[in-house]
Amino acid sequence: MAEVGLHAVLLLGAWVFVCGVACLALKRNALGVLMGVELVLNAANINLIAVAHYNPAFRLEGQIFALLVIVLAAAEAAVALAIILHYYNINATVDVDAAQQLRN
Amino acid sequence: MIPGWETTPGRLYIVATLVPLAVVFLLAVAGMLRAWIRPLRKPGSWTETAFWMLGGDVPLRAGAYLSVAGMAVTAFLSLVGLAQFLTTSDPVEAVRWAEQWDWVRIGPVSDNPVGITASSQPAFPALALQVGYRIDALTAVLFAMVAVVALGIFIFALGYMAEETQEVVEDHEAQHQYHRDQSVRRRGRYGRFYLFLSLFCFAMLHLVIADNLFQIFVSWELVGVCSFWLIGFYQERPSASYAANKAFIMNRVGDAGFLVGIAIAWTQLGTLNLEEIFQRLRGVSASGGEVRYARIVTPADGKSSLPMLTGQEPETATYQVTAIREEATHVLVHPLVAVRSEDIPARLQISTQRNLQDYAVLPYWVWVVMGVGILLGCIGKSAQWPLHTWLPDAMEGPTPVSALIHAATMVAAGVYLVGRCYPLFAPEVLLITAYLGAVTAFLAASIALVQTDIKRVLAYSTCSQLGLMFLALGLGGWVAGLLHLLTHAFFKALLFLGAGSVIHACHHVQEMGRMGGLRRKMPITAYTMLVGVLAITGVPLLSGWYSKERILTQALGWGLYHPQHVLLWLLPWVTTVLTAYYMFRLWLLTFAGPPRDPEVYEQAQESPAVMTGPLIGLALLSVGGAWGWPIWEVEASGLAHVLEQAQPAMVREYATVTESGHHYHLLVTGLALLCTLAGAGLAYWWFGRFEVTGEQLQVRSRVGQVLRNKWYFDEIYDAAVLRPAVEIAQVVARTDKRPTEGEPSEPSGSGVPAEELLADEPPPRRYDWGTLDGWLNAVGDLAASGGEVLRRWQSGRLRWYVGTLALTAMLLLGMLTVWNR
Repeated sequence: MAEVGLHAVLLLGAWVFVCGVACLALKRNALGVLMGVELVLNAANINLIAVAHYNPAFRLEGQIFALLVIVLAAAEAAVALAIILHYYNINATVDVDAAQQLRN
Repeated sequence: MIPGWETTPGRLYIVATLVPLAVVFLLAVAGMLRAWIRPLRKPGSWTETAFWMLGGDVPLRAGAYLSVAGMAVTAFLSLVGLAQFLTTSDPVEAVRWAEQWDWVRIGPVSDNPVGITASSQPAFPALALQVGYRIDALTAVLFAMVAVVALGIFIFALGYMAEETQEVVEDHEAQHQYHRDQSVRRRGRYGRFYLFLSLFCFAMLHLVIADNLFQIFVSWELVGVCSFWLIGFYQERPSASYAANKAFIMNRVGDAGFLVGIAIAWTQLGTLNLEEIFQRLRGVSASGGEVRYARIVTPADGKSSLPMLTGQEPETATYQVTAIREEATHVLVHPLVAVRSEDIPARLQISTQRNLQDYAVLPYWVWVVMGVGILLGCIGKSAQWPLHTWLPDAMEGPTPVSALIHAATMVAAGVYLVGRCYPLFAPEVLLITAYLGAVTAFLAASIALVQTDIKRVLAYSTCSQLGLMFLALGLGGWVAGLLHLLTHAFFKALLFLGAGSVIHACHHVQEMGRMGGLRRKMPITAYTMLVGVLAITGVPLLSGWYSKERILTQALGWGLYHPQHVLLWLLPWVTTVLTAYYMFRLWLLTFAGPPRDPEVYEQAQESPAVMTGPLIGLALLSVGGAWGWPIWEVEASGLAHVLEQAQPAMVREYATVTESGHHYHLLVTGLALLCTLAGAGLAYWWFGRFEVTGEQLQVRSRVGQVLRNKWYFDEIYDAAVLRPAVEIAQVVARTDKRPTEGEPSEPSGSGVPAEELLADEPPPRRYDWGTLDGWLNAVGDLAASGGEVLRRWQSGRLRWYVGTLALTAMLLLGMLTVWNR
């Protein structure tokens, strides 16, 4: 197996980030939007780990930072799910297009 | 009792002036309280009692009695003050009768500028607006006259305005606004009448005691406003409110000139105090205060006009002082110093940064303009030609108003001011005064010849006599003009009150064509009016004779020196003839001969004592007001001697004229008597010998028509001034008028009718490009429509927001990477 370069992994991270933003912008289901958020956070993690691995100046910081990000992602997912629950209580749907109160 | 009584006895006059103001305040507060309580009253509560105490629905007489009492106090104090002034006055004491207080002062305090010797000069000359009074002989006498005559008129009005004490007054000459066939029924306005009268008296008295042009101007305007209110007293009559507007607006035209004069005095002479102005123009030398002129030798560079602000050196110009008027371009302005240690130098360096303590120069034409400005104010106030048309229309007001304001006091304010400001007039200005006076005297007398309304005749008579006063003042007869002012006040007020008594008895009939033979029914009125008529025509030994003789003497003397001004020495004689004619015509038509209207004659009866009392008092004053000892000597008049004490020193320039007039005084007396007899005889010939019907009083000749229509001055002014002003106003108003809804002035936007619009679509905008409103609205509308376009960004859709966010972030990142390369 050939050694992949840093830029390839960064490219992977970027691709995952774009997929996550596309999910955020294009999904109508609120849970889908949440999945997009998770993808974005994971892309950030990929970048962190990649730089931590390929740059000898950083020893463990990247990986520990990635662990923190995972924790924060979990907490933020809990909060987001609570919001979606309240949203469903009010609107009887998880369709984000139903939130029109700020229109005009 | 009054603080400072010993050192400043003039404060008595301040108290006397403020009493009517206090009455005004009380009446106004009571009226406002009553109006406030009226809708709040509930039966049986304290509000009902309070309302009743303040007069209830019936106009309370207490307000009138309070006004009369206040005026009596003022009159008493004025006589006390006059007596005290006459017994204790001498030139040294004059300073005790004047005081000044600073109201607004800008700049460093330099104390009384008169007390400074010319040593220190502050960087900024201090400007101060002062408030003060000054009593001299003219003021004391005039104050007493105004107060006493006003008291008589106040008492008269108690009886004359009695119909205003009813709860409901029916006004037959006004038309109801909505029901055209009914006459107007309104509440009685007794208290309001006395409110305005008292306010007027305060303003007039304040005008007389004021010592600077600022206070005089304030009083000037205030008497104008009170005149407006009082002329328009019967406010439901359109003729009355039109007349009130006319009076006020014409006065304003004169006041514009007055303001120009005040502005010149303030900027060029640095002060508005009359004494200081005279001192600056004529100096404090005892030789009579001649005006000194200056001729420019080396002019200034003319670069900087405000050296104080730009910090440059002030520029100087050199002037040659000369006493010859013909070669002068400027007038020398003296410094305001008390002690003059040296004579006026022959050459002066005058800097552009002037101080009140420095010499200065005033361009000659500016001096003339200042005089003309102040004269314009007097012309407007005293109804001289060309601003004379408001006075006859002012007869729409109640007769006591006509007597007080338009005979004795307000119109006299113009003459008083000319007399007061005498030293600041240039010789050209005095000549203009004389001409205007002569023209007015003749013009008004000629119009009075054919008038049939008793009040109109008296109004034109007032106008004419004021013209005689202006003529006298313009020719150097200072004492003559002001003496005539005083005596005229007495007999003109008498005549107007007599006319009021007649009108009251005839139930508001004012046409002489319906009167006649009233002396049998109203003897007191008839014979007191006869005294007034004799006084105004100058019958010997009555008060009018003394003043008229002096005026005619002055005119004759002046005519000997300046025969080229024919009108000035001819017109007073013509006016004498005309005056005698129309005054006797008035008396004969009203009181002699058979009655022309039997109904009017049946109802007439003598007026009650409250109205005939003042008539008798004024008749006594008209007879003996100007007496001196010996009675048959015109020069011995007591009033004239009092006035001579207040004569400004510059009148000595006209001494030769007066002397030569005195040389011929017997000729003057004889000629005047001849003129009077001619006029009276003519009147008796036509009106006294046989019956004159109302039909015969109408004029048919061409000349008569011109006179009847007041020389068409009203029509001329209407065409020359009013019409263009109204046209211009209408053109300007068109920029503000909006077309009615639904019809845009210019079709713009989409012309979609309202029914075809969809529910959520706003109607298309219309922009009214034809009016100013439309332009301003269009700006606002465009901003609003722009905002509505931008509003669509707020779609409320979450995914749109997220997408926009992501796109923006990428754009920013891209910009940052590209630019940092």
